[in-house]
Amino acid sequence: MDNEQATFWLSQFIGKNLRIHASDGRVFGGQMKCTDKDRNIILALAHEYRAPSAETIRKAVEESGNPSAPVSWNSRYVGLIVVPGEHITKIEFEESTLPGQKSSVTL
Amino acid sequence: MLHSTASAQEHNSSNTAASSDYAQESAIVPPSTFSANLPLRQSRLPFAGVQPKIHDVTEKYTRACNALEVGQLVKDEYFTLFESIGAIEIMDTKMDSGFLEPGETLEDDYDTLAPLLPEELIGIMDQLLCYEMAWHTGYPLSQTLFTSVYIDKLLWPETKVLEQAQFYRGDIPDDERPGPLLEVLRAYCLAVIKGCDFVIAKITGRDYFEEEDFCTHTYNRILFISTPMDVFLREMDAAIETVEDPDLDINDALRKAIASRLELRKYFLRALDIELPLDQISYSWPPILEGISTLKTTHQLGQVVPGAFSSKMQRRLASTVPPRPIVELEFKDALEGLDQLATDCSEATRFIALGQDPLEYQSFLWFFASRSPAPLAYARSYLSTLLFHPDVIQTSLSPPLADAKTLVFPASTVLDPMNWTLSPPRNAALPKPPRVQFALLTDEFVERAGTPYMDLWVALGQNKCRLRRMLTHVITGWDILQADTSLIDTDILRAAEELGVAEQVMDFSLSTWVYHKKLWMIEKVVLLGFEQDIYLPDELGGMYLFVSLIATRRKELLNRVEAHYLAQGQRLLKARKLGEVQQIDDAEPYLDSLIAEAEGVASLGLALARFYIILLYLGLLSIPKRPFSTEALRYELRMKPFLSLQPPEAPPFGDFKTHTQPYGEYTAPNASFLSDAKDTDSELWVEVDGHIKAAKVAFAEMKKMGTKAARAEGVKNAWGKDVQSALASCIALGVAVAGVKEAVSKKDVAAGESLGIRVELPEAGTGKRYAEGWVVAKILKE
Repeated sequence: MDNEQATFWLSQFIGKNLRIHASDGRVFGGQMKCTDKDRNIILALAHEYRAPSAETIRKAVEESGNPSAPVSWNSRYVGLIVVPGEHITKIEFEESTLPGQKSSVTL
Repeated sequence: MLHSTASAQEHNSSNTAASSDYAQESAIVPPSTFSANLPLRQSRLPFAGVQPKIHDVTEKYTRACNALEVGQLVKDEYFTLFESIGAIEIMDTKMDSGFLEPGETLEDDYDTLAPLLPEELIGIMDQLLCYEMAWHTGYPLSQTLFTSVYIDKLLWPETKVLEQAQFYRGDIPDDERPGPLLEVLRAYCLAVIKGCDFVIAKITGRDYFEEEDFCTHTYNRILFISTPMDVFLREMDAAIETVEDPDLDINDALRKAIASRLELRKYFLRALDIELPLDQISYSWPPILEGISTLKTTHQLGQVVPGAFSSKMQRRLASTVPPRPIVELEFKDALEGLDQLATDCSEATRFIALGQDPLEYQSFLWFFASRSPAPLAYARSYLSTLLFHPDVIQTSLSPPLADAKTLVFPASTVLDPMNWTLSPPRNAALPKPPRVQFALLTDEFVERAGTPYMDLWVALGQNKCRLRRMLTHVITGWDILQADTSLIDTDILRAAEELGVAEQVMDFSLSTWVYHKKLWMIEKVVLLGFEQDIYLPDELGGMYLFVSLIATRRKELLNRVEAHYLAQGQRLLKARKLGEVQQIDDAEPYLDSLIAEAEGVASLGLALARFYIILLYLGLLSIPKRPFSTEALRYELRMKPFLSLQPPEAPPFGDFKTHTQPYGEYTAPNASFLSDAKDTDSELWVEVDGHIKAAKVAFAEMKKMGTKAARAEGVKNAWGKDVQSALASCIALGVAVAGVKEAVSKKDVAAGESLGIRVELPEAGTGKRYAEGWVVAKILKE
């Protein structure tokens, strides 16, 4: 990929929702605002999501008796954040198009 | 993998196939039954039930980034570098409140259902009070009360009814249910939380408040905003009953200590209640003051429970700021804070009993703001809520008119109530009778003056630093008011001429009143500047000279009013209108008190100015080196708030310089300076002594006339102290002047002999000044 293509491809995500998985297991969802060569990503209006602890899940399963009992993730609003490239383990693009609508992003 | 259970159901129902990690799917689109668990979720919910498609773009994204140049940014064109500075860096321990050290867990392992010892209960209650008071002094809830694990459990997840706000959620077996002491703690915490809700409501209910004084942020937690007061009182009563139940096996001293804390909390909650009727508020604070001493003596019974508070709680709060340490406030200081809060609020409740007189209100507001230590944000909001309460101020005249009437229209046809009973001619083209014109013009004035007048009151309700800054803006508003009012005055005079009573109306009556108030505010702004140590030692002389100038102008204005009183009184006496003569007599004490005050301020200001100028010439005050500014520019800066005023208040720099530097440069005075300074009978010294004496006489007279004349009946003590401290400043200045005079006359300065004295300027707020606004240097022998 040359610089021009890369710039074009990346700028498609500006203002779009990304989910970024950090190395400690947390996931950050928010609007992509900025990125650079080091893969640092700035998200606006971001929420932090954290997996429930093993203890909570064990309790939920015990209490409901259902091995696939739903347990919610903890989430909270964190606003404007920058996730350093080195701590990113996975980047997901969240595409919310209505049925029949064409995607505006070339993947 | 255990936590994949989290999403099993979700997976079945929605068939989102794109991601392999279902658990993370459910994080973002969980089943609706759990939606209440996630704050601000709405923004992340997909449109109209359409599930977003998730594409893993990690690999291509990484490749694309690699292809970027060093320093190249792919960014939203409206997103600025400046904004990016505000971003929280994830995985940075200092910035990221959600960052966990290896092995660290998010959840605190503190068990909120573990039975408590009575000592521990006391410990937690007292700790909560410490954090509550820390919050009152300006720290955010996230660093104070919200670090309590118990409070967190009650507030989160949010519940619909108060019964569900427990230290657990859902159903638990009976044998795990919290014991009586935990129930007591729950009631206490609920009352603390509701109290916070009331405090926030009171403070944000004001028109004007600033986050710099108080932090109202609740981090998306709802502080039982819709649960009514009586529910909390019932919980508290039940808790008190539990503790006092003889069946509860507990040492009596501890029982009493717990009960007294519950009682105090109940009183406190009641006092904070925003809907407490006006006729009860004055009874609401004294019980708190009484309860504080019991808390003080029983505090040592408590036992600290360190695990009950944790800074980890911040990780669960919706927060866009880096984590901050818990604020620790000593229990002793917390009690002092509570005492101060209750005392100030209790003082504020006296406001509703004041006579219906805007001047009394003004005095009360001024002295409330001057209380030391300065009232907390809550106490100030408490007073301004009373000030703007629709049932409190019910003067028959609107406040600005009542105020103006006292000064410029004590007995005047212009404000005769008759005027308002006449109706204007039906034909709008016909000229209106003069009395109708009086009524209409007065109404116009009232309408015009309303906003500037309220602005003054709002400013008086602020802390003193902000009061000083706000007053400079209020003054600008009054400056425009003065110009507008003088037009009304012209019309009033014309109508008076038509009615043949022109001699009864003082020229520019209403604008005189406006101007007087404006000058009074300018004086206050500068005096507050001294109080807040705004001016450097070498600026003191110049600024006191300015104060003196303004006060002299105010005095001359008042003298004009006095002359009008005299003439009007004689006219009325001749006409045998004894009722009106009486009205003028009644108005005189206030005028006299104002004249005495203006005279005192003008004379003391001038004496201080001369004194500091002499000190500068003697080289006793340090003059800092200022290579990058000029005297003229510095002068302009100090006068900036007043430069636009009409008529001009700040003298031109040339005049100012002649008056502040009569003997030329401070560092190289004319020869005449030393001869004047050495001669104790020279005009230089005689003048200083004369002004001190004049100030003393004026303040003594003002004191003699008392609070009734000064319209400060509601704040007798504070007013008395204020005048007394001005008198003390005069005496202190006399002593200081004598000290310098003696040193100069004895030593041969011209021959290079040292004066053998040094000057000490008392610092602000340390109790070393008699009056904070009057900086009187101390002369010490070396």
